[in-house]
This record gives sequence, C-alpha cells and structure tokens, in this order.
Amino acid sequence: MPEVAKNTVAFRGGGFVPGTRRWAPWLAFLVIIACWETASQLRWLPALFMPAPSEVVQALHALLVDGKLVAHIVASLKRIVSGWILGSLAGITLGFMMGIFVLARSVGLPIVSALFPIPKIALLPLFILWFGIGEPSKVATIALGVFFPTVVSAFSAVDNVPRNLIRMAQSFGLSTRMIVFKVILPGAMPGILAGFRISSSIALILVVAAEMIGADTGIGAFVLAAGNLMQIDQLIGGVVLLSLLGLGVSALLSIAEKIVLRWR
Amino acid sequence: MLKRTLRLAALFALVLLMPGLAFAQPKEKVTISALPFISTAPIFIAKERGYFDAEGIDLDIKIFNAAQAVAVAVASGDADFGITAFTGGFFNLAGKGALKVIAAQSREEPGYNFVAYVASKKAYEAGFRSPKDFAGKSVAITTVGSSFHYNLGMLADKYNFKLDSVQMKPVQSIPNMMAALSGGQVDATILPANNALKLEEDGTGKIIGWVHEHTLWQLGALFASSKIVKEKRPLVERFVRAYQKGLADYAAAFLAKDSQGNRMIGEKALALMPALEKWVQPKPSIDTVKIAANYMDPQGRLLVKNIYDQVAWNQAQGMVDKSVKAEDFIDLSFVKGHFDVPKK
Repeated sequence: MPEVAKNTVAFRGGGFVPGTRRWAPWLAFLVIIACWETASQLRWLPALFMPAPSEVVQALHALLVDGKLVAHIVASLKRIVSGWILGSLAGITLGFMMGIFVLARSVGLPIVSALFPIPKIALLPLFILWFGIGEPSKVATIALGVFFPTVVSAFSAVDNVPRNLIRMAQSFGLSTRMIVFKVILPGAMPGILAGFRISSSIALILVVAAEMIGADTGIGAFVLAAGNLMQIDQLIGGVVLLSLLGLGVSALLSIAEKIVLRWR
Repeated sequence: MLKRTLRLAALFALVLLMPGLAFAQPKEKVTISALPFISTAPIFIAKERGYFDAEGIDLDIKIFNAAQAVAVAVASGDADFGITAFTGGFFNLAGKGALKVIAAQSREEPGYNFVAYVASKKAYEAGFRSPKDFAGKSVAITTVGSSFHYNLGMLADKYNFKLDSVQMKPVQSIPNMMAALSGGQVDATILPANNALKLEEDGTGKIIGWVHEHTLWQLGALFASSKIVKEKRPLVERFVRAYQKGLADYAAAFLAKDSQGNRMIGEKALALMPALEKWVQPKPSIDTVKIAANYMDPQGRLLVKNIYDQVAWNQAQGMVDKSVKAEDFIDLSFVKGHFDVPKK
C-alpha cells in the first residue's frame, strides 16, 4: 500500500484562471498617486516639470466652480458621440458588405488599406477647406478616425462567423436576409464590440486633434491651450479628464457586451 | 575664389589683432535655442562673422520650430540662451524663475511693415476696411496666448471694443490661418508681411493695416537661464556684446532708410545673405528678406513698460498666473538705455 501512496501525484492543476480582484485596481491607483504626491511635496519632482496631484485637483476644482468644466465636457462629448456614431455606422455597413459580397471585398479591402494609414492630423488644413472650421470638420476628423478600424473589425468579425452555422441555416431553408440578421449579425457581434473598444479610444484620442481647429471650448481645446500657456497643472487636469472619460466608456461597453452577447 | 581669399585675409587680420587672446583661454561652449526665422538673424550673423568666437564663445545654435519649445529648452536646462517671441506660455515659464530676459529682439516700429491685419475678400467687400472694426468679426489666430491674440487685445483696448465680441478661432499654425482665410471660414486674420502679401497676391485677402500703424510693442527678446545669469555673469556680458554686434550689422544692412524714408537694401544686405541662407528656413532670397526683415533695436534695448503691460494683459485674460511679476524676470543690467523703464 505505501508504494502506491509514493506514486500518487499531487494535484497540479489550478491557477491560470482569469478573474478579477475588485480592490486591486483602486489600490494600484491609490499607491501611484500617493507616491507622486509625496515626491512633489518633498520637492523630488520640480514644480516646473510636474505638478502635484493636489494642484491638478485644485485646477480642476477651479474650473468646475466657474462652470467651464461642464461646458468643455459637453462640447467634447457632442463631437465624440456624433463622430463615433457616424464613423461606426458607415464602418459597420461597409465592413458587412465586404464580409458578405465578394465584389465589395475585392474593391473595398485595397482601398481601406490604402487610406487607413493616412494620419488624419496631416489632413487638417484640407479639412478646413472642405468642411470649414465649425463643427463639421471636428466631427469629420473623429468619424474618419473611427471609420477605418471599424471597417476592419466588422469585416473580420463577419469573416469569422463559423461557415457551418451559415450552411446549417441554409439547409433549413432560411432566406438570405434571415441569415444575415439571425446568424451573421449575432455571430459577428463579439468581434464588432471588441472593435468598439478600440474605436472609442481612438475617438477620445482624436478629440484633441479635432479641437485643434477653431475650437474654444472642449477638453481637447482646453488641453491644447493649457499646453500653449505652459499651465501644466491644467494640462494634466485635462489629460485626467480624458482618461476618466475612457474609463467611463469602457464601463458602458462592458454593460453593452453583457446585454448583446447574452446568447453566449 | 575671391570671396574665400577675402575671408581668409579677414580671419588672418583678426588673429593678428588679438595676439594670443583667442588661443590663451579655451573657448566656452554655449548653447542657444532659436527659431529658423529672419528675427533670429543677429545671432546667425554674429555666429557666421565670428563675433562670438572673438568673445571666446563657442556657440551651438539649436533650431526649434515653435516659440514655446525655445523657451522650454532654456527652462529645462537644454540651452543656456534662447531668442524668441513673448507668449503667455513664455511668461508662465519666466514666472517660475527659470529664465531672465536680457536684451531685445523684434519690435513694432513706425515705418517698418512687419505684421498685417488681413481681411477676407468677402469681408473687405462688405465694408471691413479698418482694424478699428474688428468687433463682431471672426479672426483666425495660431493659439490662445499667442502674439496674434495679444495684437487683437491691444486693438480692443485702443479702439474701445470688447475682445469678447471678436470670435477668436485658434487654428494652431500660420498655414492653417491662411487656409481659413482663403476658404472664407473667417473674416480676418493677422499675419507676418510675407504671408499677408501672398494672400493679397492670390486675391483671397486684403491688407487693411499694419500693426505698427496702431500699436507699438516689444515682440520678443533674448533671454538666458537664471542659473547662467547668476553664476556666469561675465560670460553673459560677452554674449550680449557679440549679439549687439550682430544687431548693428543687421540694422545697417536691413533697416537703413534714404532721405525719402524708403528702406534701402543694398550691398551690405547682400553681404549678409550667405549667413541667412545657411540658417533661415525656408531658404530666403534677397526679395523675401526685403519683405520679412523686421525692426530690431540696433543695441538690443527693450520697451520695458510694454513687457509689464503684456504680463498684466495676459493676467487679466486668466492666461498667466497672478503671481508672475515682470520685474522679477527682466534683467536690465546687460544693455544700456532701455526705453520706458517703470519706476519702482
């Protein structure tokens, strides 16, 4: 009997299981900010190069008090949301067509590949001439930035819908329309939502570029002006606002994923 | 060939004139941050003509593409000196005690066209003919706190209109400002002479006045890091001497006027072209220099009170911190005879 016991192997599985600790991210943020504040208070970080977190909070608070903060956020959100919706709708439509129709794919793929890498910021003077310096040029900058990654993610999401599911639907005699809406659309949803995570971040990044042109309100315009005036506390404050917005959008998308992907 | 022989002869004469001096002490390495514009010409001239070498300074010129970067380079210690235009950002940096203004660069001077108010063709035809009428117009500027913004602020104060009534459109760069005006997106803009004339040539804009006809002010300055001013005063004095020689050559070549008050640009200007061609971007021709060469005090004297005014104006707009005091970042001791020094 003892021989058998000697040969038993201890359980080696376990670990490597994805999961989350709710307190961990908060603690990490807290530690980083505390270290930063301490370094500033002890003057290890020169005030000229890096303001203390408390100064950033003060700058944001001053902005909140005189009402400009809300105006900046509202102005930027309008541009981000409308640009993102426009870009996403156009992107998903084209991506789906490229995923389903051979001709659309053969024509669309090279065109998208050719236009995707063009830096939108380099085209700003052109955008001024095309769209003016009002809202249209800002929304267009964001929409164009969102459009290309959405096309790519929608196209590959449709492409990755298992063929056997489509074949099965066909053998049950479903119409093409039904197949697109009942099989391909839900099947492509995970890929599209993953694309949304990327495109929403791109929209946030591009709001700064979009507001380079003729904007006096908006988080991007605020960050740019603070940079030009070397008001570093406000500059960091604006950047913090952008990352808070990013966190908010990410949380919203998680909720959307839970609802839309319930079928999984 | 002849040129080179002459230059060699000049060099030889210089060596003879200063026996041993230049060789006795090793030259001190000094860095200046600057923009590749005509407004930096005195530095380029002094460098190419060996005025810095004669003062025992081995000058390294670091070229940047924005006024902001020039000031930041000095504040961060990457450069010892800097030369550029005043901006809100400059005053905020200076207020932190990192740099000291020591001599003048460009200023608006009567009779020297430098920066123009430009109306779009449409606004001009609709009756926008004078800089007094900026109220209610949309105007493209580079950025909030830029010199163009301040130009409008001075007009508003002088002609009693509210700056708030002007719709300021920050578009980041001069090419964007020109595009906004040509495309009819704004009623007006404010541009340096060569850009303004280009728009008039294209027929998309109309010059309705020059800044020097309305408001005189100090556009920019030579400044040094506070550290070098404190620790190496004699070096700064030598630097300013070489800079003043460059300024004097520049003034003689580009700022002279004949008896009718027309600017004369001749032999002396041509002689300076190689130095400018080497440093100024885009590469200038004598014709572009004729238009772009702006007024600089031949001795580097500042309009001191105007700098105080600029700081106060920026503070009133909420763009510069209230704690910034002009007297703390201007050092008047390196150049004699500054203008309108406020009494303490």
